[in-house]
Amino acid sequence: MKHSGERIVAAMSGGVDSTVAAALLVREGREVIGVTLQLQSCDEVTTERSCCSAAATSRAGGVASRLGIPHYVLDFRKEFENEVLRHTWAEYSRGRTPNPCVICNEKIKFGLLFEFARSVGAGKIATGHYARTEKAPGGSVFLQRGLFSPKDQSYFLFSVPESRLSSVVFPVGGLSKDRVRSISKELGFVEEISESQDACFAVRGKSYSELLRRRFGAPANPGKVIGPDGTVVGRHDGIHKFTVGQGRKLGIALGEKCWVKSIDPETACVYITTESGDLLSRGLTASVVKWNGGCDREGPLECLIQVRYRQAAVRGTVEFPTQGIVKVQFQNPIRAVAPGQAVVFYDGDRVLGGGWIESSY
Amino acid sequence: MPKIYFDNNATTRLDASVFEEMLPFLRDNYGNPSSLHSFGREARRALDNARAHVANLIGAEPGEIVFTSGGTEADNQAIIGTVDIIGKPGGRIITSAVEHQAVLNSCQHLQNKGYRTTLLPVDREGRIKLADLDKALDNDAVLVSIMYANNETGSIQPVEEAASIAKSRGILFHCDGVQAAGRLPIDVRKLGVDLFSLSSHKINGPKGSGALFVRRGILAPVLIHGGHHEQRRRAGTENVASIVGFGEACRLAKQRLDETARNCATLRDRLEKRIIEEVQPAVLNSCRGICLPNTLNVSFPGVDGQFLAINLDLMGIAVSTGSACHAESREPSYVLKAMGRSDDEASSCIRFSLGRENTIEEVDAVVLALKELVRSLRAT
Repeated sequence: MKHSGERIVAAMSGGVDSTVAAALLVREGREVIGVTLQLQSCDEVTTERSCCSAAATSRAGGVASRLGIPHYVLDFRKEFENEVLRHTWAEYSRGRTPNPCVICNEKIKFGLLFEFARSVGAGKIATGHYARTEKAPGGSVFLQRGLFSPKDQSYFLFSVPESRLSSVVFPVGGLSKDRVRSISKELGFVEEISESQDACFAVRGKSYSELLRRRFGAPANPGKVIGPDGTVVGRHDGIHKFTVGQGRKLGIALGEKCWVKSIDPETACVYITTESGDLLSRGLTASVVKWNGGCDREGPLECLIQVRYRQAAVRGTVEFPTQGIVKVQFQNPIRAVAPGQAVVFYDGDRVLGGGWIESSY
Repeated sequence: MPKIYFDNNATTRLDASVFEEMLPFLRDNYGNPSSLHSFGREARRALDNARAHVANLIGAEPGEIVFTSGGTEADNQAIIGTVDIIGKPGGRIITSAVEHQAVLNSCQHLQNKGYRTTLLPVDREGRIKLADLDKALDNDAVLVSIMYANNETGSIQPVEEAASIAKSRGILFHCDGVQAAGRLPIDVRKLGVDLFSLSSHKINGPKGSGALFVRRGILAPVLIHGGHHEQRRRAGTENVASIVGFGEACRLAKQRLDETARNCATLRDRLEKRIIEEVQPAVLNSCRGICLPNTLNVSFPGVDGQFLAINLDLMGIAVSTGSACHAESREPSYVLKAMGRSDDEASSCIRFSLGRENTIEEVDAVVLALKELVRSLRAT
């Protein structure tokens, strides 16, 4: 078959988005090599929706064969364990709320997969993320929100280095979910294919952080649960089981609704509150991992701020007091700002940069 | 460039004459071998004919051959069926750490049901030590299962000696001969085994058939229960066309045994020599001499075996990183790990398995591709 353009590696999870992404490239006449990443062992895979499940892998293989492209399963389990799971546990063990998807994108999907692509002479990789890239005058490449905002996944991609972004294609980034579904139907993929993003880390009815703790044979960090008045209202068997803003499975009964306000990893104390207003923060500090055009910024900058996936970005001001640290003030308070989560800064749809939340106030 | 197939331990091309033999049984001769009428008799005759060819390949009597759906079923039947018959609670199965998954997972299944398993270690060449076997044979032992030749490395086990040790203790001996039957001269009498598994598609026969040799005089293990087929040793209407093909493949294999082995060995030796000399550093995982003549397993330290195999595939060269039956998980090969190879060596290995159709030109083309790819993969 005659192909146009250079060879491209398409990450295929077996889900509808990456299926359509690969199909669109094939339709364009590109030479596409489909790959599915095996990140966890079949027997430890958690949910059917997970992108690593055996069923999804074989679905991806089936899709590839119908598209007439080669398909390979790349075993990155060891790297996933070392780069993503270890970090995730380290964060939980410090009472923080990790975001493994961001790390996985940075290290695995837009890291190792690039090495594979290079090895097979492919200059670009494609994924089914709802995000776009934009070439700015001067040659730099920016990450942008997906055009269809309800599905936008740019939040999970903020830390992908700029040098990589120029070699990434997001074929569904300019489409709506409905359009993706209808293309999938047009292509004859009638069977129910669901979404996989974010499902690698979900376990039905089980505490993921507890599974990680057992996996690494790490000790738990048990301690006290401190009530709103500063008295001990209970005990817990590990700070890794808590996250800021959590309102369920606290293991205590105060007779009224309560939430985790903060976690102190030093004393292993989990502080709870019965005032939902206590969960509101006016600002945060974060360690910056990426800022477009370099981190050496001066002066306060006004932009849009997002502290978790599926949160409407709020307006605020970013200051750069010292190298690698940002101080952020929100115009309107945000609820449950959790250390360990990513904060991402936007100018309209364009991703300016982002970092890891260290504290909130 | 025409494609090159160096993955004959995964499966082989259906021989043209095997295909011709099968055709009538896919068209007009559709009888059930168990039927009393002419259609049935015709199928029965074909089945008997095939049985004679399979038996002849390994020096057995036709009545000792039980047709199965393949090597995996034969292994399951030998292990699970035997343990079932002996019915000794907590009984022990002794096998090796480098067996095919069909054997290892049958043992695992039994272990989950309260039986016990001993995995004999292997040396750097992939062979068990007879002294280890001797030690492992305690009063609870009910079955020994040792493969003839390893699918990943081609290493050949001391089956005759092992079987004789088991026999001296009155313990049944099974041998997974899937990679060996039709590639090496096999005589089950000389080997002294009680049970021996064969597969059709490894020797240019069709997929979907295999056989278990069950020595006359032992109680036949049964896995699949139902009608009186195969003398009640394997229920279910026989896969006549596939079995006919299997029989013909065995006849041809026997006829061509020396020629095929010689040709494969010549090519394998050339491939090995050129790789060792020209694609350094390369670590040989299969040994010379006591090895399948067609199998070469090499590690290229510093190179990811899966990247290398994929790149070869994109160039039209089919090899594997290990067992095709183990492909879902590309864990560093448990076979190579058991042979004392490091994680890096085990995850950088490539298995080349040759067949009767391969040529010297193909060997040279593969070496050329390897040199180029290994250099560029090492550079990244």
